[in-house]
Amino acid sequence: DQWNVSLWGKRRAFTEHVEKLAELVSEKTNGEFTLNISYGGLSKNKENLDGISIGAFEMAQFCAGYHRDKNPSITVLELPFLGVTSLEQEIELSMAVYEHPAVVKDLARWDATLLMPSPLPQYNLVGVGDAPKTLADFEGLSVRATGGIGKAMETVGAVPTSMSASEVRQAMDSGIVKAVSFAPHAHMSFGTIENGKWWTTNLNPGTVNCPVVVNTLALESLSDDHRDALLSSVDEALDHYVSHYNGQTMEAWGPALEERGIEQVTFSDTEIASFKEAAAAPAAAAWIEENTKRGLPAQELYDMVTGKIAAAN
Amino acid sequence: MEPIDIGLIVSGGMLVLVVLGMRVAFAAATAGMIGLIWIFWAKFGYDPDRFGKAVTVAVKTAGQVPHSKISSQALSLIPTFILIGYLAYYAGLTKALFEAAKRWLAWVPGGLAVSTVFATAGFAAVSGASVATSAVFARIAIPEMLKIGYDKRFAAGVVAAGGTLASLIPPSAILVIYAIIVEQDVGKLLLAGFIPGMFSALIYGLLIIGMAMTIKNFGPAVSGFTWKERFQALPPALPILVVVMTIIFFVYNPFGGDAWGTPTEGGAIGAFVVFLMALYQGMRWSELKDALLETAKLSVMIFTIIWGVLIYVRFLGFAQLPNAFSDWITSLEMSPMLILVCILLAYAVLGMFMDAIGMLLLTLPVVYPAVMALNGGEGVSAADATFGMSGPMCAIWFGILVVKMAEFCLITPPIGLNCFVVAGVRDDLSVQDVFKGVTPFFLADAATIALLVAFPSIVLWLPGQV
Amino acid sequence: MAGSSLVLSDDSRLSQIDRSLYRLEQVLALVSGLAVFSLMLMAVVSVGGRNFFNQPLPGYVDWIEQAMPLIAFMGIAYAQRDGGHIRMDMVVGALKGRVLYLVEFITTAVILLVVVLLVWGTWSHFDRSFDFAMPMWSTDSSIDIGLPIWPAKLLAPVAFSVLSLRLALQLWAYARAIVTPDRAPVAIPLIADAATQAAMEAEHVSGRDE
Ligand code: NA
Ligand code: NA
Repeated sequence: DQWNVSLWGKRRAFTEHVEKLAELVSEKTNGEFTLNISYGGLSKNKENLDGISIGAFEMAQFCAGYHRDKNPSITVLELPFLGVTSLEQEIELSMAVYEHPAVVKDLARWDATLLMPSPLPQYNLVGVGDAPKTLADFEGLSVRATGGIGKAMETVGAVPTSMSASEVRQAMDSGIVKAVSFAPHAHMSFGTIENGKWWTTNLNPGTVNCPVVVNTLALESLSDDHRDALLSSVDEALDHYVSHYNGQTMEAWGPALEERGIEQVTFSDTEIASFKEAAAAPAAAAWIEENTKRGLPAQELYDMVTGKIAAAN
Repeated sequence: MEPIDIGLIVSGGMLVLVVLGMRVAFAAATAGMIGLIWIFWAKFGYDPDRFGKAVTVAVKTAGQVPHSKISSQALSLIPTFILIGYLAYYAGLTKALFEAAKRWLAWVPGGLAVSTVFATAGFAAVSGASVATSAVFARIAIPEMLKIGYDKRFAAGVVAAGGTLASLIPPSAILVIYAIIVEQDVGKLLLAGFIPGMFSALIYGLLIIGMAMTIKNFGPAVSGFTWKERFQALPPALPILVVVMTIIFFVYNPFGGDAWGTPTEGGAIGAFVVFLMALYQGMRWSELKDALLETAKLSVMIFTIIWGVLIYVRFLGFAQLPNAFSDWITSLEMSPMLILVCILLAYAVLGMFMDAIGMLLLTLPVVYPAVMALNGGEGVSAADATFGMSGPMCAIWFGILVVKMAEFCLITPPIGLNCFVVAGVRDDLSVQDVFKGVTPFFLADAATIALLVAFPSIVLWLPGQV
Repeated sequence: MAGSSLVLSDDSRLSQIDRSLYRLEQVLALVSGLAVFSLMLMAVVSVGGRNFFNQPLPGYVDWIEQAMPLIAFMGIAYAQRDGGHIRMDMVVGALKGRVLYLVEFITTAVILLVVVLLVWGTWSHFDRSFDFAMPMWSTDSSIDIGLPIWPAKLLAPVAFSVLSLRLALQLWAYARAIVTPDRAPVAIPLIADAATQAAMEAEHVSGRDE
């Protein structure tokens, strides 16, 4: 078998699990089953689910927040202030959600089967100008933050501004936005730390959920050996991803901040608690209401996610 | 058959369709569609029962491309810059600019043609679209040149070539698109285009003066403007400076404060300023309607090429051609500079059959990483780099070279958008006429490109200052 | 007119349909022009709001992405009618009479076939984003403020359907020109040299359209 895999951008920490998966599958099947990984050649990242549904390729990665209406069920994992503390926990939580029948059904509309997540750490802000000392300092601060994180920032008086990721650097350099919210690897690759002056270490408003999916029919029509080779490699691929992200990316992150003399802003527990109170509950309530309308057991999904986190922490 | 072979055969087929006179956008879409069907059917082992399935998958895959690729903020610059061009025409700005250039510069040999070049260069500072620049100056400059006895083909050629300056001198839609494709700093790239753009204008001017001095009955110098008349011509052209300043403030605040917005917003705000000026000049709905219709027409022909080519690019992705090409380039055992020159030559050949943006979309995903690898990688320092410049600087330098090549392809036969547009404006000129008239400017462009390759500091000095 | 060619008209049924369709195409092209104009206004609102009221236009990028298909697709048949889509005319420019119209017929037929396939493909792209059972009928939404995307996706099959009509009409016109190559060919864009020639001949035969 030959599978085409649609990723985007270039090979980076965010794609290491797929690269590892390809390596393992080929090894286990003596090269009889190969994954041909394409970075952007097969589809635009926002259309990867469409490509899976068409049957143009067999495996793809995407982020739930790119298109909430395509995959409402998994956007529960993108709610602000869920309180996930590690990549390992993000994986465990994602996998549990991916196995929920309502979620399976949601993705089945695209003939997609969820294979594994691409866990990312919590987003935080890199900014220019005076570093905020308290949440009150966010009042009127223009910040590039999309979707749910933008809504969360709005609750403390920040002004969310939208622009494409490639314009972010220019917008920050020229003062159109004073702060940008990304995961660390994106702060490094989009260059926001080049001129940034401060970084929030513990705002942790949330993250994005980016699963890897396979075309269900393609998965079913694999021979038992090949399907086994694929499914049995997922855990090892994820282990590799986590050690790579925690190792190379997060190891580079601290020094990258220090090298550039970027001030690290840490908010007090009470500040974070009041931010969370202002942002988390309304966002969750809105999410539950909207997705109940979509016919999802939204309350149940939300309770499952928060319950698992509460149990772990 | 291997996917790569399918890729090569279908690409050959596309060239045949183009030569047969099929509209380029649709030739590319046709090739892409056939290629996708072939690739998927090959994947199904050419099973006759699954041919229908292959067609379905291919058609649906191709059907994603138009909407998904067109819905982009970066591409929104193309129509707004085209709108600036037509609104400026109706606001009388282009005419005023041309008049000022004429009174100040037309005394040199070949004066009116030289004035046209510098008027287009000046207009380039508000226009980011080459085709629109050529389209509006074709209406203003060609009649004046014909009046005093220029060869009509040459007059058309001057306008077609002068239009290309709009994509080097900032603002520039095509430079922004390059920056987005390769993920580099938009502001620095725009800045980097300024000196090469002025440099191109200067070389065009010198070429015309040289021709005027050697060719009989070329077109007389136009002298006799008094200093008073010269200064009188300036105020009507001044509003253009307002637009230029507005756009500059959106890219970079010269007083050190914050810029007012992003370059994409700057283009739209520039159009708004010109719109207000046109209103002030008494533009009516019927004129605005004409401007909007012409903007729509030029935009749609460019966008149709863009999605047509991208369907073909999508097929190439499935045929794994980009990877193969990239591997091949980096495995070549030639000097990196020779490889770079070969790449530029390949652009010249490819550019004959492509439009500028289509060509960049087609090639950059493959060629750009290869060039960066040649230089020693994206993060390489100037000291360790093959071309003696850091990764980001190499990205800027190569960007300007590629955009200059793309501009070159706007005036080369058989498919040169600027020449089509000029011929479209003038009923008395065929496309072939314009191609004949523009030929001397190939030499000027070749010289410019050679100098930019030999002396990268022409490109890199200005962006190095910020 | 950018890259336009001469299109002749007379009082035949074909030419009448041509002119009616042209009016529709013109309206659609004007919609596209107005969409460009709206891009400009949106930038004014966004920049003004941000700089003077500290309130940028929410979802500015999302709105731009919604406007782009209007600009990119709506004028496509208008441009095809006037011969505005560029091509290499060195070979066809050397042909005359029946041979010319035959080559044009063949390339136009291929385009029609591909455009019909694209109507299907772009429709299915729309269809995947649309579901009557969902809030706002939406199964695909924009990244920032969650606008439904199906209206923008629907524009492609709509515009391509109009283009299919135009191409079918041109096929009819080319077929007529093949059968009666001596009549002034109506409803098709004439290439440069042929156009000047035909314009002279046509002066006392028929009026020039626009
Ligand atoms: Na320009
Ligand atoms: Na060309």
